[in-house]
Amino acid sequence: MNIYQHLLEFFNETPFLIKFAIIVVVVMVITIIVLIISLKMIRSLLNIKDKEILGYKKEYEALVVEYLFSEAQTGELSDKQHSIILKIKEDIKVIPRRKSVITVLSSLMNEVSGEMSDAIQTLYHKTGLISYAKVRLKSKKWHLVAKAIGELRRFKIHEVQDEVSKYINHPRVEVRKEAQLYLVHLFKFKGLNFLDDLELPLSEWHQLQLLEALLNLEDQKICDIKPWLKSANISVVLFALKLVKVYNQFELKDTLVELLSHPEKEVKLYASVVLNKLFGYEVAASLKPNYIN
Amino acid sequence: MQRHKIVLAEDNSTLSLLLKYRLEKEGFEVLIAADGKSAVELVENHHPDLVLTDIMMPFYSGLEVISHIRNKLKKETPVIVFSSAGQEEMVLKAFSLGANDFMTKPFSPNELIIRVKRLFSV
Repeated sequence: MNIYQHLLEFFNETPFLIKFAIIVVVVMVITIIVLIISLKMIRSLLNIKDKEILGYKKEYEALVVEYLFSEAQTGELSDKQHSIILKIKEDIKVIPRRKSVITVLSSLMNEVSGEMSDAIQTLYHKTGLISYAKVRLKSKKWHLVAKAIGELRRFKIHEVQDEVSKYINHPRVEVRKEAQLYLVHLFKFKGLNFLDDLELPLSEWHQLQLLEALLNLEDQKICDIKPWLKSANISVVLFALKLVKVYNQFELKDTLVELLSHPEKEVKLYASVVLNKLFGYEVAASLKPNYIN
Repeated sequence: MQRHKIVLAEDNSTLSLLLKYRLEKEGFEVLIAADGKSAVELVENHHPDLVLTDIMMPFYSGLEVISHIRNKLKKETPVIVFSSAGQEEMVLKAFSLGANDFMTKPFSPNELIIRVKRLFSV
């Protein structure tokens, strides 16, 4: 008690500036202690959550694998598969469980093909996960919309084409990028029709992603590129030029030559690159007047 | 009859479980490694008849696993490599290190079974 009184007296007798400094130091020490305690609490909470998610993941991994190998010999769903569907359908009402199921299914969708991939798609449909994705598609939060479109693309859900198409000119690049990738991944060259209505620019990176998606298609029968070479959207013209170059569209020679007079320098230059790649020296002479101008 | 022993090195736990289930159904004994380091340890301690390995893995890559088997352990254990689209150069490196076969992801587990059986029948 004496020490406490002594300290109090000492504090009262000290000049204002030192008093102020002592108060600041005490407040800072208390703040640091509070922050350390709250950080520890947050960390342990996150650890608990991680363990919970890991537990769910292990549970659903086993369940999904069991589902995939329980198919009846007739090719129809077996009783075991029906019971697994019912269990997952009930469980996914809880958000962390739903996220775990989606994580497990997504990680398999990226790695397996053929019958297995079809079975995973069926499971996605039958468990009603598609309905949850459709709800998120209408969310006001852009990141939820982008994630929902990505999920629908991964599980090859064709029936939401109209809803997803609405997002091709979304102000957030992440949303419109996902919408455009969805269309190309699922509807192949036909999916490129979004280019007709695209008002915003396609970034170089996104153009490469679209090209990669197209090049991975089994059916490489390309659609008519000509209208996009005449688009008012410069990035669409540049993307169309890349398509001409990659798919060797020799029949578009006249349109390419016309592009040498395009008001945009980038288009002119890329058109000349494509012409040189496809026709070599043949058009070299026709390039010269445009460069002089 | 003794079952063929397979070491499966794959960091995607769901895929590992799926392939383990499928391979065990065909009568193989499967040992799972979640990373390259565990794969090397399993190969050293269990002397498998076949190694299935992904290319991109934590600690040691699939390429390092193949190199360890061929150059350090001096073993001729057949190796099938899993690669992703765009990893063609890695696949070439894997072959130059001594891989026997490769499969590009996404792949069909049924096709993998055919390849595994073919390797054992030769």
